Parts: sequence; structure tokens; C-alpha cells
Amino acid sequence: MGLLLEQTIRSAADGLASNAFSSTELTKAYLGQIRGLDLGIHAYLDVFEGTALDQAHASDERRAAGKAFGVLDGIPLAIKDNILIQDQRATAGSQILANYRAAYDATVVTKLREAGSVFLGKTNMDEFAMGSSTERSAFGPTKNPRDLARVPGGSSGGSAAAVAGDMAIAALGSDTGGSIRQPASFCGIVGFKPSYGTVSRSGLMAMASSLDQIGPMTKTVEDAAVLFEAIRGVDKLDQTTVDFGAVKYETRKDMKGVRVGVPRQAWGEGMTAGVREHAEGALETMKQAGAELIEIDLPYADEALAVYYVLMPCEVSANLSRFDGMRYGQRETRPTLLETYLKSRSENLGEEVRRRIILGTYALSKGYYDAYYRQARKVQTLIRRAYASAFENVDVIVTPTAPSTAFKLGEKLNDPLAMYLEDVYTVGANVAGLPAISVPCGAHEGLPVGLQFIGKMGADGALLSTARVFEHINL
Amino acid sequence: MALTRDEIKRLADLSRLSLSEEEMQRMEETIDPVLEYVGRLSNVDTTGVPETEGDALVRLREDVVDGSSDGERAAILSNFPDKAGDVLRVPGVFDKPKG
Repeated sequence: MGLLLEQTIRSAADGLASNAFSSTELTKAYLGQIRGLDLGIHAYLDVFEGTALDQAHASDERRAAGKAFGVLDGIPLAIKDNILIQDQRATAGSQILANYRAAYDATVVTKLREAGSVFLGKTNMDEFAMGSSTERSAFGPTKNPRDLARVPGGSSGGSAAAVAGDMAIAALGSDTGGSIRQPASFCGIVGFKPSYGTVSRSGLMAMASSLDQIGPMTKTVEDAAVLFEAIRGVDKLDQTTVDFGAVKYETRKDMKGVRVGVPRQAWGEGMTAGVREHAEGALETMKQAGAELIEIDLPYADEALAVYYVLMPCEVSANLSRFDGMRYGQRETRPTLLETYLKSRSENLGEEVRRRIILGTYALSKGYYDAYYRQARKVQTLIRRAYASAFENVDVIVTPTAPSTAFKLGEKLNDPLAMYLEDVYTVGANVAGLPAISVPCGAHEGLPVGLQFIGKMGADGALLSTARVFEHINL
Repeated sequence: MALTRDEIKRLADLSRLSLSEEEMQRMEETIDPVLEYVGRLSNVDTTGVPETEGDALVRLREDVVDGSSDGERAAILSNFPDKAGDVLRVPGVFDKPKG
């Protein structure tokens, strides 16, 4: 059984194709691992033993009939709980949706279903994806499989822990300011946030719509590319999806000729010594493999986080107004409508969610709109220009994914600003809409360190190709 | 700039949130450092800089009703917190509900 739990999507697809094992055997192995491990880790909010085995069985029958769909047919995956699977519970880690059942499939789920994937269950997350530690879930925190006293990162901490703990071959997460990449870094896996507009968000519970992206969390860069190919594409249900054309991968064995941008602002102070040691080691490895390291100036690095913590709460305050206890979700009935609203929202939305709603309401209110929202949008334009001009001279920009390795549970829970600073290296890609991926680059005192590669808008294939070479030369 | 207790109360009311005294205190303590951090945006010279540029073209389409499957309809109905038959029941909109 151990062998089954060491599979990547690619190796499992080969094993299924050669009849080395069946999807039912594979799925049972992962369900067994969840049963054995998840009581201590709490990566999953719901596990679908019955439907997962049904899907695995159907996949095996298709394969036996010579009608297998492709590389994802029969592959057991985990899905973050803010992504809808029809008729299954979808809480997004919030009490207000504790009993909510999804009425339809998210587009990404439809696509994975059509590819024959098996859904093992829904993974834990910070409430409505607001957090960097998965401690803000209404259903209790997820622990880091590498060290149970530490957080897995967030908000896609459940998906990261599921993959790192061999409780799924791969998973989907969502990333608004770093929620795929930072937990991937903390758990020692690969996390990829595609270019804004490449993957439909229909059926993803909106947090900050101008920034949200769904993406893969996997054991290898190759698997991230496989999942990305399966979920991407223009969707009439998400008007922000863009046709970037076919994804262009590069076949390269080394990094000769790759111009790697190393932004001064990101590599200064602000990261721990352990992260610096491994991240700088990774730069050296790339140089040895032929990469040209180019120190670049990327202005507004600190401002990107400030832009994010203005725009995001503004969109949160609007997007979360729908959770009012009327058409779905928990309702706390009181004599009047106003009291019912107040009670339903206050009793069932957590403190961090309420903090961001209040911040956003403030930044959008009369007299402050120009100073906060409008100014943040203008600085966003400057940040986009800064990246565009940086990419005139480099092919990829490299930074650490997070300032530190996984921190201890409770360490930053009462200091929101310290938690927000976790996003300092990742938010830039969201604010500018760029594709970015976190790849493991070593471990400090047993805790994984992630290296982030940021690519040009729409050049997701080139980014994945470069990240894949790094993954191989860094072994 | 700091938010006063009264301002937080007003923002909470506008957002349809009620906060206990203790929560109000915590909001005050935790929101201030965030506002101080984002305050750095005011130091950036944005004269003549537009709020958006280079965004993909706005893509609009007709708003066509597609209908829902029976399964979707059943799931939507089953999520109603309160209903009369297939109709959603909500508290009265006016302050003094009858009976």
C-alpha cells in the first residue's frame, strides 16, 4: 500500500494504464491514509468514501472497456471547501454555511469530473479564505503534517496538508494573496497560481473577485501542469476568463539563457536566516545550471501589500453581504428583519471576516473612498507597470515564497498585521494578475522552504517549464 | 489614522454586524495598525496615473436565462432556512410585523 501513496498524478496514470493497480485500489489506499492520519491533522472537513469509491469503480470499468478518458481518469483528488461540488456540503470554513449544500458544480469540478477524477473530499481552510494559517476555520485548525505543533499555512492549508500527508495525490486550492503558494511552501509541496483569467471561478465562493484564482497543489511541477491543463479555459459563466491560447511549454534540461530577475526589495531584510540560506542556495543552483541572475529593481514591493489590504477588504465587504441568512446558510430568526440580519451575521461570521468587512466598509465610505480605494487602484497601475518593465529584461522573477518556515499554532493568531505580513512576497502576483508558483527548495530544521517563481502575464507554460527545470536540478 | 469607537460602531451597523464591547475593543486595537500600514499609499505620487490600464477588454454578453436542472432546483429549495411549500419565508420587512 505504501507504494500507492507515493504516486504523483503522472506515475499513477502510468500505473493505471499498465494495470499495475486499479483506481479502486488507489482510492482505497488514500481513504485508508485519511482514516489513519486525519484525526491528528484535520486536512479534511468532509470525506466522500461512498461517492469516491463509486467514481473509482466507474473509472475502472471505463478503462476495462478501453474507454479511459486520459491522464486524470481514476486519480483521487482533494478539493478546497470554497469550491462547489453539487449536493456536497460547502462551508468555506464558515459557521454560516455549516449546513449548506452546493446546488451545482464549479466549472473546475465539472472539468475534472469530465476527465474522470475521483473526489476524495473537501479540505479545511481559513473562513472564506481569509487567513494564512488555517486557524481561522470555524471547524478547528489543520496541523502541518511535517510538525503537528505548526500551522500548514493558509488559507488552502487543508489542501496542502492533504497532499503533503499523502492523503490525496493532488488538490485544488484558491489564491487571492498567496493562499495556494504560502501553504505549499509551509508543507513542502508545489502550489501554482495561474494568470488571472486563465481558470474560471464559477462555483468558487468569491472573496476578492479581482484577485481570486483557482490553482493546483501537487507533489511535482509536472502534476501542476497536468491539473492546470485540465481546469483552464474560457467559461461563459466567468466573464473574466481570457483566451490566452495554447499553453506553450519549453523543453529544456538546464537553465542556459534563462534570465532570472532577483528583486533587491524582496531579498533585503524581512526573511528568516533559514529561508535566506536555502533561497540563496537555490539561486546559486540556478546559476550553476546556466541561468543568468540579474539583480533588478522592483519598486512598490511594500506598497503591493498595502494595495492588497485595501482592495481585498473592499471587495470582501461587497461579496460577503450575500451571507445574510435569508436564502441559504444559518438564520438566527428575530422579531425584525434588521435584528435577524445582525444576529445571523454576527453569530455565524468569525472575527477575521468581520474585521475585513469593517475595514472594507470604511475604505469605501464617503470621504475615504478617494484616499483608500481610488489611490490603491492607482498604485496598482504603477505596480503593474513596474512588473511589465522588469519583464523587459528578465524571463522570470524569483523570491522566497514566505518570510519564514511554518510557524507554531497560535503564534500569530492575535496579531492580524503579523499574519497579513505573511503575504508580503506573494501578493504582488495577485495585484498584477501574474502567474506564480512555489516550489520546494530545501528544509530548515526539518521545515520546508519554498521558492517562488513569477512569470509574465499569460506565459504560464514558460513559468511551469522553468520551475520544472529548477525542481529537477535542485534534487 | 485611528478609528474611534463610534466610527467602528457605525461601520458595523452599515455592514449589518453587531459587536460586543469586548469585540469592539479588539477591532479598535487590531484595525489601527492595519490602517497605519496601508497609510503608506498616500506617500506614493499618483498624479496622472489611471485606476486601470491594460486590462483585457470588458467582455459583455446578453443576460440569458438558462434555467436550472431539477437537481439544482431541489438543492436551492433545500437550502432555504425557512419556507412555505416551495416559497422562501423571510421575516417581515417592516418594523412591526403582524402577529
